[in-house]
Amino acid sequence: MKQAIRLVVNGTEHSVEVQPSDLLVDVLRDTLRLTGTKKGCGTGECGACTVLLDGKPVNSCLLLAIRCEGRQITTIEGLGTPDSLHILQKAFIENGAVQCGFCAPGMLLSAKALLDENPAPNEMDIRQGLAGNICRCTGYVKIVKAVSSAARTMSGAEGGGR
Amino acid sequence: MLPRTLYVRPSGLSEALEALEEHGPGARVIAGGTDLIPSMRARTQTPSCLVDIQDLGLDTITRTDTFVRIGAACTFSELARSSIIRELFPVLREAALAIGAVQTRNLATIGGNLSSAVPSCDSAPALYVLKARLTLISLRQQRVIPVEEFFQGPRRTVLAPAEILAWIDIPLPPHRSGAAFLKIGRRKALTLAIVNAAASVCAAKDGSTVEDATISLGAVAPSPLRARKAEAVLRGYMWSEELVKEAAEVASGETSPISDIRASADYRRELCKVLVRRALMQAWERALGGDQR
Repeated sequence: MKQAIRLVVNGTEHSVEVQPSDLLVDVLRDTLRLTGTKKGCGTGECGACTVLLDGKPVNSCLLLAIRCEGRQITTIEGLGTPDSLHILQKAFIENGAVQCGFCAPGMLLSAKALLDENPAPNEMDIRQGLAGNICRCTGYVKIVKAVSSAARTMSGAEGGGR
Repeated sequence: MLPRTLYVRPSGLSEALEALEEHGPGARVIAGGTDLIPSMRARTQTPSCLVDIQDLGLDTITRTDTFVRIGAACTFSELARSSIIRELFPVLREAALAIGAVQTRNLATIGGNLSSAVPSCDSAPALYVLKARLTLISLRQQRVIPVEEFFQGPRRTVLAPAEILAWIDIPLPPHRSGAAFLKIGRRKALTLAIVNAAASVCAAKDGSTVEDATISLGAVAPSPLRARKAEAVLRGYMWSEELVKEAAEVASGETSPISDIRASADYRRELCKVLVRRALMQAWERALGGDQR
């Protein structure tokens, strides 16, 4: 039986009807049409579906949407816009850290959470922070470089953030 | 698509226990869901009702004069971040950080990890050597059991239907004691252990006699095991590298590993020797105050 729930996504409250068994990734993509979040393995191993739950990265394919009432969800659509990219997104472009792009939304959100907790990560911190995100194209070198470069930019920029 | 199910989100423990009772043996507790959701997807579990325990207040870590209480719904990220755990039980922090990756550790809970009862469960060896006790609560009773009495084989525990693993109590570590956890998997993140091991030792006042030793191994038997014969090799004897090596050999002999896609039984037996030796050495160093981090 469908139930009406309220989901707060990227600061906006949405009223949606879900089955208790509906996964957050499917509600985001199919109901809210926020297709930036990708669905890869469906078992919590590839990280393509990563979203932030109360600021912490989680696999939205392991999370029932109904469990997220009262929590804050951030998807890639909430990170930056095409007109105003987040520093991490700019760094990914500048460093060639994107090839097919399927892992990028998850990578960026994991990187965002990492930098929120640790503004000056070393290479090992970055690799551990991104260990839950698989990329089959880049070999990770440019992604790690991009996160490192974004961290430097953000610590140099006044107040950090965007 | 997951199989259809009912869902309730109780706001207190008694309400949760009533919900489990009311919905019968098909009802399942959902904590992090990192194991349950993939199992539902694979149709190996098809609960009739999910009882969500995120609002029960079982996610805290508190310290008393004699023990530390960890709520069963505490995530591995919270465990790894806790200053209490960092200071008192680095062995548990090491186990927590060996699990999954950031995303899974933000969801997965210590109670869920134990309740799933897979042989490679990373939190169990650490909790074994810390002599943790589990509190299981149902509407009818509340019971406390040593962690090693919890498992009954792969994916089987002593938990009765409508019973919840509520919290885990760990006694404060004795003086001159230390413990360490090690895991070898096929890679460094998001992988099940080929073998995991934990050891704790307590040094006598002379700083060279082993007063007590506890050794635990995972993924080498139907459930995580205590290597009691190996512990007896150490207890009461003078610490030496030869003694540790002997204990590690004995520990390996206490296991009954299988060959599977991750490794052969022979490889696992060899790994046991290496991991037990290293865990003991590290534990001893910590016991003598060399490394508490």
